[in-house]
Amino acid sequence: MDLIHPRTPADVAEALRDSSASGRRVLVVGGRRHLDKGNPAEVDAELWTTQLDQVIAYEPAEMLAVVQAGMRVGALAELLAENGQEWPADAPADATVGGVLASGSSSARRLKVGALRDTVTEMMLVTGDGRIVKTGARTVKNVTGYDLHRLLTGSLGTLGVITQVALKVRPWPESRRTLVVPGGLDLATALAAEVPLAGGVLATPGGIEVLLEGWAGEVDELEGAVSALAPDAAPLDGAPFPRAPWWTWPGDGTIVEAAVSPSRVAAVVDGSGAFAALAGVGLAWVATSAEELGALRARVAAAGGIAPAVRGAGGLGEGPVPGHEVHRRLKASFDPAGILAPGRGWHR
Amino acid sequence: MADVDAARRELDAALGSRSVLSDPLALRLYARDASMVEGGCALVALPTTTEQIQACVRIAAAHGLPIVPRGSGTGLAGAATPIGDSLVVSTARMSRVVEVRPEDRLAWVEPGLPNLDLANHLRPTGWTYAPDPSSQQTSSIGGNVNTNAGGPHCLAYGVTSAHVLAVDVVMADGSLERFGAEGPEAPGYDLRGVVVGSEGTLGLVARVCVRILPMPPAVRTMLFGFDSVEACAATVSDLIARGVVPAAVEMMDQGIVRAAESFAHAGYPTDAAALLIVEVDGTEAGVAAQAREVEAAARENDASSERVANDEAERALLWKGRKSAFGAVAQIAPHYHLHDCVVPRTKLVEVLRGVYAIAERHGLIVTNVFHAGDGNLHPLFSFDRTVPGTLERVLQASDEVVRLCVDAGGSLTGEHGIGLEKRDFMPLVFSAQDLAAQACVRSAFDPHGRMNPRKVLPDGARCGDFAVAATGSGDAAADARDLPEGSWI
Repeated sequence: MDLIHPRTPADVAEALRDSSASGRRVLVVGGRRHLDKGNPAEVDAELWTTQLDQVIAYEPAEMLAVVQAGMRVGALAELLAENGQEWPADAPADATVGGVLASGSSSARRLKVGALRDTVTEMMLVTGDGRIVKTGARTVKNVTGYDLHRLLTGSLGTLGVITQVALKVRPWPESRRTLVVPGGLDLATALAAEVPLAGGVLATPGGIEVLLEGWAGEVDELEGAVSALAPDAAPLDGAPFPRAPWWTWPGDGTIVEAAVSPSRVAAVVDGSGAFAALAGVGLAWVATSAEELGALRARVAAAGGIAPAVRGAGGLGEGPVPGHEVHRRLKASFDPAGILAPGRGWHR
Repeated sequence: MADVDAARRELDAALGSRSVLSDPLALRLYARDASMVEGGCALVALPTTTEQIQACVRIAAAHGLPIVPRGSGTGLAGAATPIGDSLVVSTARMSRVVEVRPEDRLAWVEPGLPNLDLANHLRPTGWTYAPDPSSQQTSSIGGNVNTNAGGPHCLAYGVTSAHVLAVDVVMADGSLERFGAEGPEAPGYDLRGVVVGSEGTLGLVARVCVRILPMPPAVRTMLFGFDSVEACAATVSDLIARGVVPAAVEMMDQGIVRAAESFAHAGYPTDAAALLIVEVDGTEAGVAAQAREVEAAARENDASSERVANDEAERALLWKGRKSAFGAVAQIAPHYHLHDCVVPRTKLVEVLRGVYAIAERHGLIVTNVFHAGDGNLHPLFSFDRTVPGTLERVLQASDEVVRLCVDAGGSLTGEHGIGLEKRDFMPLVFSAQDLAAQACVRSAFDPHGRMNPRKVLPDGARCGDFAVAATGSGDAAADARDLPEGSWI
């Protein structure tokens, strides 16, 4: 296994040009936090982005941060916190920005902050055959040409290497509080529907966690709204949300990230011993096993969703991928030699 | 060679002859959108179902007619202006709300549904669709999807792309695909994400699944006047530094304030050099906290007047002035050319000064209204095109405004799109290699170039040049500023 340690985008381009010429198959690696996501790929080399970790531009008044993709999420969080801002990735601190985006990760606060992919306004990437391409703009709003960065986000490193991104960031809320509520998915769903502007409502077998964030008086007001539905709600100061993200779950068994329309989440988690379901969002992390995975995926498919594994074995799952020909042609254009993680993506 | 007569016969059979237009008046009406560019077309089809859209695409492909998708025709960049022997496919007769599912936070709608009709349909349910372009009374959801439309409220809520869960797309070969999903994630590359904002060049949007949001429990709309545009713009930066992300921050200069006031009688302070509309929403306590910060920022910058809408009627009145501003400028001169570009928020004043200087140099009247929170400018030149030489001066001034915005680190367009009007500016912000990569996206969807050809990308950009472009030859820039044959301003 070759290890490639580029220090500049030009290094990435050179390495990929060489790899395309020689047929060396390459896996793009950041913080190694999302490598389990994707179908198995056999490769000859790993390209580590972790030395591409510079801040390119950060002007707090613009609410935009331009950073290289190998920057760690934790380092970015520290930089932004100095200016009272955050990028709501909710990923492990040692994950890289590029890894979070390329793997299509979701924030646990998606109910309020939306999809992480919507925070990317500009991207620099290197295609499989070593061409440096820019897409988007360093403005919060832009409709100049095709948003290639949309394709790269969630592409699992199969179309190119993300080397740099401009990210929309947001002000750190004045107050943040987690409430712990006894109850199940039904109550969680009711809370997501009735508590205005909740940061997140997470149902687990051990109860519900509700994140409230905003201005101090607003959080107090929202706590009242939670208590009206759930009188036993108890505040937990300083607790992260979720208290136990999926990557901290014990063991190394398979965990899937199921995505269905919000009202179908119950069909996904019913009968599971370990799960965390975001009410109102339709995302659920479910611990499973090799024996149960097929049945779980069948339930998710019946609910119209997908359930890729984010930890352990299992890959992305079977099922139709719309626009098969478009996928094929995109892959052929951006990675003509087919060296980028062959087989890892959704397309076949 | 296009066989228009054969296409007409087959379209008549598939859609019914009353849904196919080819009389000279109709062809003239559909020869342009709301931009300055005029073209021409051979046929206009008005399908009522997805299957009919598929038939349109198949028939056009079989007889060599390019397809130009059209919503309400309010586009300002010429994306819906047809060229040559094309078939315009208008979705105007597909305007139903198909279903609303609050439990899934989504609604399925047909593409021809006007944006405001969706908002009005949702209002009694307590839900809302966030993007609200100023054209919302007329512009369609399908058109909004194709231009990734914004609007005043996308500062806090994001542009159209963040509110489109899935799209049903009739592909260039007539097949139907659903990109995206009703749930939060879909398998494969985010093809939904590139279709949004693609200006009808990747396929024809036949149905849209939009994300709906609960209406915020409280909202407060405030209006501040300032003696200088500098103080007005500084207030925007200061309130963001205070951690406030308002639902909307709109800035208007004196010229547009006066025009809007005499039209809408909103009670705007016409003696102010600039005016700021700030809307905050959230819970009661959240709104109170944000309003406190906004007022403090305005006062620190010596706001000369201050008004808060006390009820829904007053709020509507404050917005009426803003949203009717582009109509109100008809009082200034018979024609206008509305611009759209984005700059870093911190460069607003500098760019505004530059816009004034450009207008003065060309002897033109310019007024400005913009989404200040997003750094999205809309300079508007008012003129009379019957006066010889005026149009040329407007076009020259527009050209300079685009370059000014790009030089300030901005982008060509924030929400109106590239269409025909700006495609030859693309080399200002993208290298030949960047454009070749974009051309690859286009040909991945539409290998034969049937969908809305000649739009968005300059003629020189080709996917096949991707490798060649790596050498840095600037072919794409060579034919800059030439409109395609068959179109004119």
